[in-house]
Amino acid sequence: MIRTEELLLNVGPQHPSTHGVFRIVVKLDGEIITEATPVMGYLHRGTEKLAENLNFTQIIPYTDRMDYVSAMTNNYVLCHSVEKMMGLEIPERAEFLRLIVMEMQRVASHLVWWGTYLLDIGAMSPFLYAFSDRERILQLFNELCGARLTYNYMRVGGVKWDAPDGWIDRVKTFVKDMHFRLDEYHNLVSGNEIFLSRIKGVGQYDAQTAIDYGLSGANLRSTGVQWDLRKTEPYSLYDRFEFDVPVGKNGDCYDRYLCRMEEITQSLRILDQALEQFPGEGDTMGKVPRAIRPPAGEIYVRIESPRGEIGCHIVSKGKAEPYRLKFRRPSFVNLQILPKLLVGESMTNLVTILGGIDIVLGEVDC
Amino acid sequence: MKGMLKGLGVTMKTLGSKKVTLAYPDVPIDMPDRFRGIQYFDPDKCIVCNQCVRICPTECITLTGKANPDPEKKGKVIDTYDINFEICILCDLCTEVCPTEAVVMTNNFELASYSRDELFKDKDWLFGNNTNVREDNNNIGSPKGGAK
Amino acid sequence: MQHFWDQPLSWGTAAIFAAGAVGVLAFVLFFVTYAIYFERKVIGWMQYRKGPNRTGPLGLLQSVADVAKLLLKEDTIPKKADKGLFVLAPVLAFVPSFAVLAMIPYSMNLQFADLNVGFLYYIALSGITTIAIVVGGWASNNKYALLGGMRSAAQMISYEVPLVISVVGCVMLSGSLNLREIVESQAGYFWQWNFIPQIIGFAVFLVAAVSELNRTPFDLPEAESELVAGYHVEYSGFRFAFFMLTEYVYVYAIAALTTLLFLGGWNAPAPQLDFIPGILWFFVKFAFIVFSLFWIRATFPRLRVDQLMGLAWKVLLPLAILNIFLTAIGIELMR
Repeated sequence: MIRTEELLLNVGPQHPSTHGVFRIVVKLDGEIITEATPVMGYLHRGTEKLAENLNFTQIIPYTDRMDYVSAMTNNYVLCHSVEKMMGLEIPERAEFLRLIVMEMQRVASHLVWWGTYLLDIGAMSPFLYAFSDRERILQLFNELCGARLTYNYMRVGGVKWDAPDGWIDRVKTFVKDMHFRLDEYHNLVSGNEIFLSRIKGVGQYDAQTAIDYGLSGANLRSTGVQWDLRKTEPYSLYDRFEFDVPVGKNGDCYDRYLCRMEEITQSLRILDQALEQFPGEGDTMGKVPRAIRPPAGEIYVRIESPRGEIGCHIVSKGKAEPYRLKFRRPSFVNLQILPKLLVGESMTNLVTILGGIDIVLGEVDC
Repeated sequence: MKGMLKGLGVTMKTLGSKKVTLAYPDVPIDMPDRFRGIQYFDPDKCIVCNQCVRICPTECITLTGKANPDPEKKGKVIDTYDINFEICILCDLCTEVCPTEAVVMTNNFELASYSRDELFKDKDWLFGNNTNVREDNNNIGSPKGGAK
Repeated sequence: MQHFWDQPLSWGTAAIFAAGAVGVLAFVLFFVTYAIYFERKVIGWMQYRKGPNRTGPLGLLQSVADVAKLLLKEDTIPKKADKGLFVLAPVLAFVPSFAVLAMIPYSMNLQFADLNVGFLYYIALSGITTIAIVVGGWASNNKYALLGGMRSAAQMISYEVPLVISVVGCVMLSGSLNLREIVESQAGYFWQWNFIPQIIGFAVFLVAAVSELNRTPFDLPEAESELVAGYHVEYSGFRFAFFMLTEYVYVYAIAALTTLLFLGGWNAPAPQLDFIPGILWFFVKFAFIVFSLFWIRATFPRLRVDQLMGLAWKVLLPLAILNIFLTAIGIELMR
């Protein structure tokens, strides 16, 4: 009789496909996973605790470092919640600038996802295609706020920089080009039979499961639930623009792929309208008291980040520093369904499913 | 089959297209004016208001002042001013609060060194970092005016 | 070369054989060096990059520098590895890959050994490399390497079956397993080359060949996004270089075989173009096959293990067998 045992395999924290320092301990029967335990925290920096000793302006650079491929939405959720607490008026031009950079950020973030997802599945060109286009967005951000990744662009009450000369036109050119590039992306992989057979029907769950696990973003919409905070609870100026919320049907990796790709198109659509309506002049900073001290109380503000619902819960005691600051990070919440999805799948599908959830480790570990 | 052929077409088309690679170490990258690089510090402008130290989210700036050597004048002048670039995140907040633009950003960003000690930059080094200084130091993000 | 085989073995002929082997080895190493360079360039161009361009003029010395680095590297063997097998595996992988080159004819007269069973000889020897990969994966005592080795065993054994059977059609058409005779039977215009009468066989052969090479989209044994590097994850230095070399020597062998079996070898596309030496035609076709491999690598994602097996047994094998029947019917009708 041959003695057989399960293979205990440590995937990560240094593994090409865990997108950072994430670790999954999987039990393998042959190539089939019988149990998966995610281990996280390798990138934990204690942002929430650090924030208790910082004033609100100082926290903004820390939010850049949570979801580092989508720093603008993180900036926004913090600033927006403080503004809501203090009841501040934001000048229209500042709000437009915020919306434009957030939508550009959504495109950039989805491009990173698209490139790395295809890289996980084994195609290497899409990664470089996506990054060459993302580079243009980063360059535009660099011109706007002087950084390519950690922008520190928004402030309580407005934005730090007004758009430089010709910037809006350059964004317009970019948006126009991006429409063509997106078609090319679809030509490159979206129809590839190998790719489709890899992702169709993989990592499937239904709407109820998704809601039970608290999923948000494309992970939730792929099951057919129409839930996009830009539509359902419009913040910023989203109620002024026309756009659709793409939803899937089957809740598998393929639907998530399509949802995200369609979201890029919709973001470009919003950008088209926003750039058209961009006010010619105006302030970029509202009237803000010199010391930012939100009144005592609590607030929870949520917005739609590229990964899902990002929320900011502030408990204030009327000081310049928050008494307690809590971020609801979509990557962290979305990741919770992973052990359930992995059971019974092969090693290859582990990569497909993990990539499909779209996590950013800076945000998972915060 | 059709999808695969389309994909092959895209890669073939790209084969002859313009390349995006930058010849970076050979050709320096021109950063836009607003780029946040290593700070330039002008000791003459500094009024030792300590605002940059207080706003710094990572507490990487340390400074000390001394009494003005000119007995006619009041106030302090800067004695030491150090930025620890091991922890500086180049967030721009110090230049934002500086009332006299004594500390401003430059477009220089190459900080790599063989030793951590070299990342601890003092007043003289920061004063010597006077190339590509940022022209537009728009302070709209913060309340204007001097120290509280 | 052939007349040396017919003479009794003496020190002189043995020296000639040795010199020939060294010559082929030098040529193959040159090919591998520049195939890697070419691959990186082509894939770079297809991705808006420039590819290697720093070492030497146009980056031409990049592969040389890479090999030098690998040779100078410390030779590490994991403590818990099976030392004997660990050392044996790269050698066992490389030797057959080099030995199969003996039977490849480059033109009418340029051939190292004219074997009557040319193609079978290739299949028989290349099977040994599979064992080497499994051995390497097992001896490393690494779980990723083990999974990679197991995958490769399953994959390469499965794909050898359709690979062999897809060629049977060609063999039936020319009535010989000898590669030179197979090429001779394809003389004439380019539509007389086997890839048109044997279109099914050609398609099956191409897919199976790419799979035998462990290249994208069939690079599961070394699937870097899943298994980090697969069977050679623990190898470094010149042992790793040997695995790498093996892979590219097989690219050479498969490209040559495809050219010979299906693309008419050294035959010109039309008899009017015969004034161009056959060896040039051979290498043009050869280069085209190699380029296609790189092109595919730049475009396609990777298959999954179960799909891979399904493809081999449920699609390629029936197609290959169907091809044999169709060829037989065709031969009967044409007669």
